Parts: sequence; structure tokens; C-alpha cells
Amino acid sequence: MVLGLVITALFGASAQAQLKQVQSEQLLPKDAVTVFSINNISLLQKISMDDLVNYEFMSEVHQELFDGSTSGKTLKDAGLDFNQRLNLFYGKSNKHELTGFTFGVADKTALFEVFDDFQVVESPLIGLEIYGTFFNQLLIKDNLALLIRIEPTMEHIDAVTDSIWYARGNEMPFDFFEAEPQEEQILDEQTFEDNPNTNVFPEATENPAVKNYYELRDSVQVMLQQAELARVIDEIYVKGVNLYNFDPRFATQLTHNAEGVFYLDNARNLDKSEGLWYFQTVLPTLYKDIQELYAGNVILGDLFLRDNKVDFEVEAQYGPALGSIYAQMNDAKFDQNVLSYIPAQSPAYFTYNINLEQAYEQAYKVLLPLLSDEKNAQIAMNVLTLELLNEFINKEALFDTYKGSMFGTFNGIKKVKTKKIEFTYDEETFAYQENETETEAEMPIFTLGFTTARPDVPELVLKHMARLSSRIQCFENYWRIDNAILDAAPLYILNTGKLLILTNDEDLARLHPKGYGKDALGKKERKAARDSGFMYGFVDIPQTLDRFPTEVLTPRNAEIISSLKGKSGQLILTSSETNTAHTTFKLSYTYEGAESTGKHLLDLVNSLYLIYTLNP
Amino acid sequence: MKYTLVFLLIGLFSACIEISDDLTLNNDGSGTLRYKINLSASKVKVNSILALDSLDGKPVPSKAQISSKINEFVRILDAQVGISNVLVEENYTDFIFKFSCDFSSIRNLQDGIKLSIAQISNEKITTGADQFWLSWDGNTLVRSIPAYVTQQIKNYKLEDAEQLKEGVYTSIARFERPVASFENKLGTLSKNQMAVMVRTNTFELKENQHLLDNTIVLTPR
Repeated sequence: MVLGLVITALFGASAQAQLKQVQSEQLLPKDAVTVFSINNISLLQKISMDDLVNYEFMSEVHQELFDGSTSGKTLKDAGLDFNQRLNLFYGKSNKHELTGFTFGVADKTALFEVFDDFQVVESPLIGLEIYGTFFNQLLIKDNLALLIRIEPTMEHIDAVTDSIWYARGNEMPFDFFEAEPQEEQILDEQTFEDNPNTNVFPEATENPAVKNYYELRDSVQVMLQQAELARVIDEIYVKGVNLYNFDPRFATQLTHNAEGVFYLDNARNLDKSEGLWYFQTVLPTLYKDIQELYAGNVILGDLFLRDNKVDFEVEAQYGPALGSIYAQMNDAKFDQNVLSYIPAQSPAYFTYNINLEQAYEQAYKVLLPLLSDEKNAQIAMNVLTLELLNEFINKEALFDTYKGSMFGTFNGIKKVKTKKIEFTYDEETFAYQENETETEAEMPIFTLGFTTARPDVPELVLKHMARLSSRIQCFENYWRIDNAILDAAPLYILNTGKLLILTNDEDLARLHPKGYGKDALGKKERKAARDSGFMYGFVDIPQTLDRFPTEVLTPRNAEIISSLKGKSGQLILTSSETNTAHTTFKLSYTYEGAESTGKHLLDLVNSLYLIYTLNP
Repeated sequence: MKYTLVFLLIGLFSACIEISDDLTLNNDGSGTLRYKINLSASKVKVNSILALDSLDGKPVPSKAQISSKINEFVRILDAQVGISNVLVEENYTDFIFKFSCDFSSIRNLQDGIKLSIAQISNEKITTGADQFWLSWDGNTLVRSIPAYVTQQIKNYKLEDAEQLKEGVYTSIARFERPVASFENKLGTLSKNQMAVMVRTNTFELKENQHLLDNTIVLTPR
């Protein structure tokens, strides 16, 4: 009995000790805003290092990895501990941007065969090993590693550099207004000559001990990097502060039995958003109010691997104010009429089901007091305009016309008829003539439909427009606007009484004005869309994304689409009902073929990384 | 002019294109050049590109910017020695652009175009800048497609092969007296014997930039 108690106590103590042992996720800096934590990294054992470093999420830290030392090696060869999580993180404060990952180390010798460019750096702490390269720092303690890259923001570097530069009595370093600097006014440093041909780089100073502005800025950048690294080391390794204990929502998420975990603190993301600098500087009170509105807005996700499928289950949590708007917005009855207009063979479609009137009323209630408190002439005028419109506009008619629910389909690429001019030459003199002939052009076929309770309003608009232009014609079941799409193809408008549908699909307008009937979505898909809260989306990847012309997108968005190209299978997005606390989404990626599950997991992680870091 | 259009349009739109290059040469070496670019078969694609801010990370010019550049070129070319009556028609509905100018001599024409391109281009054009693509001795015209143009066509991607096969390049030379002979096997002689036409598709031209080169000998005066 006593022996039993002793054994139990010993094993219990051992288990407690194990529980208290630091894990790789406890090395994440608390400033990390986006984190992907891959739990079951044994799935990745066969992933080659060369493949791994080609992912965009590795791009910030891969310089040292992709230099030949990784050739032909897998993650397993890199000495990683597959009993620990691999945690990728990204964070940005007003002064720094930091990226990197944390992981367990099983074989340090193997690790440094891959990380072979890292040099030992003096460590301020006993037991903490630090290795550095030009860009990155690798910190190892108790077989746990933090690879981190810290970049001070340019604004911060400039601010500090300017401060030092001017404090030393120098004049403005950029010669915007005067051709020649006044030599006698320069005290300690020497400015460079402004030569329009070589304005990019300043000339070296005569005295090598004295730095010019750009040399000073480089030094400041290095010092800020080192200072921030010292702060991060102190925070994590001395004070024990990290994201895991800073945000309990993240810690709770890690307890989920999922292959991977995703965390995005939208409130802090907003705080660091460059786009809001105007509010931050000019309207600080309003900015504070917006911050409060977004307080508690965090997006948490789990990645589950199932048979030939990766499920990404996401929960968007809100604070009460923002949640109240979303809850009202998503309190809408699903309009089943839309399903008749989605063909079963559609390669991509979505339904979006919201109550715009309720959302407007709630947003008006929440946002107007914030705006009204602001003592700014422009905002005051905008508030007045908004309040007057609110009083005078027939909101019932407006929101009955556009209720907020909609659907969209991509029906592939079809040939549409258009006209072209041909040059012809007669045989006698090769005299030139122009002839108009019919031709066909490939065009993506899109349909967009809106739920309406006031079909008379769009009909009224179209009737009057038709009186003004012969390009707008009314047919039995639809309106046609010639050359409306890219000056070449017609746009068809179907006003069914319950839906207002815009499409460039002639077949839909002419042959299916009352819907596709038995050729519409099947029962299973209809049920899935109907049961899916405020949003449902379906994408057949090969038929849609592979044909998507990424060159027409911004480089950032093209990167996101490209990351999904070449994959088999389907993406399905579903959502649950929304309440004031949260909305849940589920993105299912079903794939075919023999590619390893780990590769698919990384593909999806990569796409999500791009979506959340490039378009926050 | 024609090269500016080529740079602005061909360079931007790897679409189905018809180009007509029509040279009328008088016995004294003066003449008229007419150049036509027809993108009407690709107007869906051209319009979709013009609707964008950028393509492949490069800014897409607006119609107004294209027109402004064209008019600037006309102004510069019209001021060149031996060049007159520079005219341009811009049709942004069907995307057909027609250019014509009179010249006093073949040399004036080539110098004028070369100098105008140099003035208007922000980027220095080096490919074939010193090449003369026309020569005339009073009886024989030797002509080729300027390297400025062929280089652009050469830059087309192979993925655009199908569209290039549908594109047409027509090169016509007209004279005041009958043609005695011409070398290019793709060429045809007009029934009145006063003009030679060579045609090929833009894919073939991409593969062989000398496909339309021709030496045309006229009957003695």
C-alpha cells in the first residue's frame, strides 16, 4: 500500500514535472499576432527541406536555409524533435516587425548541418545558446529553439536616426531646397553632395571616423535590432513572458486535439495597422473608440487532417459592440430562390445571406455615438449628413430593394459572340478595305444575384434608362444592355420578382429565366448551402483557380491564388449562425491523388499565411 | 509613330493582332508610309486589360495616356526633316490605329522615326536602333521588318502561340512603275503589277524575323 503510494507519488511528481517542462510554443514572443502551430509534425518528416523553404511562410527566414546545405535533406534530417510543435509566427508593433518559428531540437549536430551559416554569438544568459547570421538569430535552450528575425520599421529607424543626427548639430541631410550645403554649419558629421545622377548613395566622408547620414542610419538599424533582440530574450527567457501565458485564448486553443492551430489577434492587428495612421495621429479619440470596438476580436482556428481532406475550423470571437452588429447582420432567413439559379456543374459559387437593414440599424446605434463625440469639423458634417439621411430616406424601400442577401456563380469560360474588323485587299491594286465580321471571344461567365422585395424599383430604373439609350432593350424575360461588358459583350438583367440577377450568360437569360430546374444544384449541395449560416462557398480548384488569370491581380493577391494553383480537389467554406460572441467558419479542402497529407497541410497553411499576413 | 504604337499596344497586349505596313514609293524616292494596327479581334481582352491598374506588376496606361503619347509622337515626327502630313486615327471602340506620313526620301523616313522614338521613349531602345530596314537605289527596294517591331514579337511568350497564329502581319510595297521581280516566296504581285504584298502570321514571324524581308526590282524607267 505504502509502496503503491510512493510509486504513485513518484509518477505523479514526474508527470507534474513533465507538464511544467517548457514546450516550443512557450517560446513565442508575446508580440506575435499571427501564429500557426503544427502539432503533429511527424506528418512532415518526409517533406524535403528544399520544398519547405519554397513556401512563402518560410520566405522571411529562409535565406540561410536555402543555400545548398539543405539539398536532398528532409525535416527529419534537420534534427527536429517530432514530439514538439512547430510554431510559425508573425508580429508587428509600431517599432518592429518580427517573424520566425519555434521548434524542438532532437539532434543539434544534424541541425547545424542545415543551419550551417550560423555563428556563435555571446549569450547574456547561462544555458541559452545564441547563434546569428546577418538576418536571423537562433536561440537554443534545453533543446528548444527559437529562430527569429527582427526588423525595425523604417519609420522607427528614421525617427531615431533623425533625432541623433539633429542632436549632433547637423543640418537636414537631404538637400531638397539648396544646391550646396553650408560647410561651416556642419558640426560633427559631414553631409554628402547632392548629385542628381548619384543621389541614391552618399559619397564617403573625408574622415572615416565620422559617419554620414546613411551610415548613421545603418548603425541605428543594427542597434535597434540588437536592443529588440535583448528585450525579447529578457521577456521570454528571464521574465518568462510569452504569447502562451500572455493570451489564455491561445493557450486554450493549443489544448485542442488538432493537427494544427491558428491564432490571429485582430484587435492587436488593428492596433498595428499602417492604414489607420491617420486616425492614430489626427483623431486619437476616435481611434481609441475603434480600438474598443475591436477589443476581443480574435480569430482562432484548428486544422484537422481527415481522409483525403484538410478541415480548417475557425472561430471569430467578438467583443460585445462589434458582436452586436454581426449578430444583427447575420440574423437573416436563407433565400432558397437563389439555389435554382446555380447550375449543378458550376465550378465555383457562393451564397451570402445577411440582413442589411438590421445591420444598418445596429451599426447606426453603435457607431454614431462614437462619431458624434469627435470634435472634428469634417466628421461633424458627415455625422450631420448621416443623421439627416437617416431621417429623410425611406429606409424600408431601400432595404426592401437591396436586402443584403446575394449569390454569385462562376460558370466557366465560354465563347461569346462579338464583332471584329478585318483588313482585306483587292487583287488588282491591293487597295485596302475594312469589313466587319463576327468573331468569338473567350469570356469568363459570371452571375450575381440579389434578393429583393421591391422588383418595381430596378424595373423603374431600367425603363427610364432604356428611354435614354438604344443599347438597353427589354425582352420577354430579361433586359439586355449591349456592349456593357468590356465594350464587347452584352449584360443580361433578370428581374424575377424575388431576385435581381446580373449575368453575361446568354443561356441563363434566354433559356433558364425561371432557374435551372433539374440542372440546378443537387439536394445535398442545396442542403449544405441552406444550413450554412450566413455564407457558403464552393470552389473546384482545377476548374477555377488554375484558369484564373493571376496577372490581372495585384502581386499580393496573385501570390495567394498561385499558392493554391495546381492542386486537385475542392474548397468548401461553410459558416455557422452568428451570435454576439462569435461566428464559426469551416474551410474544407478535399484533395485527390497520392500527394502526402503533410504536403497538403503545408499547402493550406501557406495559403492561410498569405491571406492573413498579406491582407490583414 | 508606328513603333510607339507597337510598343504601347503589342508590348502590352499579347492578343490577336493584325498589322499592316503599306509603303508607297515614288520614282524619286519620296513616298507615303501607312501603318495600321488592328486589335478589334481582341477587344474583349484589350478592354479587360485597360480596366486594370497594373498587369504583371507594371502600370497599365489609360486610353488618355496612350492617346497623349501618340499625339506627342506625331508632333515630334512632324517636325523631322523630310517628313510631312503626319496623320493618326485612333479608334478606341474597335482598337484600330492608323498612321500615315509622307517622306522626301527613304533615309529621311528612317532617320525621322528613329529620332522620334529616341525622343519619346523613356527607356533607351538599343535593339536595332542603328539598323536601316529600307534601302532604295532608284530601281531596287530592299526591305525588312524593323528590329524594333520584330524584337517585340519575339518577346511574346510561347503560351500565346495560338493567338499569335491568328495574328497577321501584312507588308505591302507600291510603286509608280511595274515590278520586274521580287525574291520573297511568300510574296504576291498585284494584277496591275505595281504592288507586292507579303503576309504571314505573327507566330511565324516570331519564329523567323526575316520572313517578310524582300528585295523588289522594278522595270527600267
